Amino acid sequence: MNILAYLLYLLITYLVTVRVGFVFYRNGRIFILNLLQQDAALTDFINKILLVGYYLLNLGYAALMLATWDTIDTWTALLDSITAMTGKILLTLALIHFFNMAGIYFISKRNQHFIHP
Amino acid sequence: MQPSYNFIAYLIYLPVVILLTWYVAHILFRNSKVFMLDIFSGRAEIAGATNKLFETGFYLLNLGFAFWVMTITADIISNRSLLEILSTKIGAFCIYLGIVLFLNLYLFFRGRRISREKARLAAASANTAPRE
Repeated sequence: MNILAYLLYLLITYLVTVRVGFVFYRNGRIFILNLLQQDAALTDFINKILLVGYYLLNLGYAALMLATWDTIDTWTALLDSITAMTGKILLTLALIHFFNMAGIYFISKRNQHFIHP
Repeated sequence: MQPSYNFIAYLIYLPVVILLTWYVAHILFRNSKVFMLDIFSGRAEIAGATNKLFETGFYLLNLGFAFWVMTITADIISNRSLLEILSTKIGAFCIYLGIVLFLNLYLFFRGRRISREKARLAAASANTAPRE
């Protein structure tokens, strides 16, 4: 039953990661554009690299977590462990996301200070 | 062996928390656009992007927390304990969601206050500059 759990878990994690990554990719562009003083070519390049790095980090982390899984014998345990593991992944995503937003906020604040002392 | 109600409890808990999170996020972020427009002084594009980013973060954080704390370690053997355990879990999650909601509201009001003060300072310095 562990195989079934792994497949379901990887499917859910993959879907969530890709969907969330796409939302960040689309909505984060304007912030990077502001940080780089409207340099569109460099912004698209950096945005793309950030997206790929994010996918690698998340999917790699999700795959690593497979090693820590308990043995599953019942349907209850299956549902339980898939939900708990997905919850952990979502919490990690949220943490990284809020760190990123705080980073963008502080960098843009510093830049503003630099331009208008 | 008596049948265990744990699976049923999970099947009730999951839709309830997902619907609750969706409902709160829907209400909060439909109405927060006004704040965002105020904070970014009318620049609709960046306000919309920030709103969307906050909404995604809200979903990730709350659903992640809800899933993470779902596990019921006790073996539920009666209808009565099923109801009691479920209501404890869902009630605690509701309180948590309420706290996060008010934290978000506090952030919005704070952002609006700061951007209004900035605008007032800018207007004041623009008024005094020609006089000097």
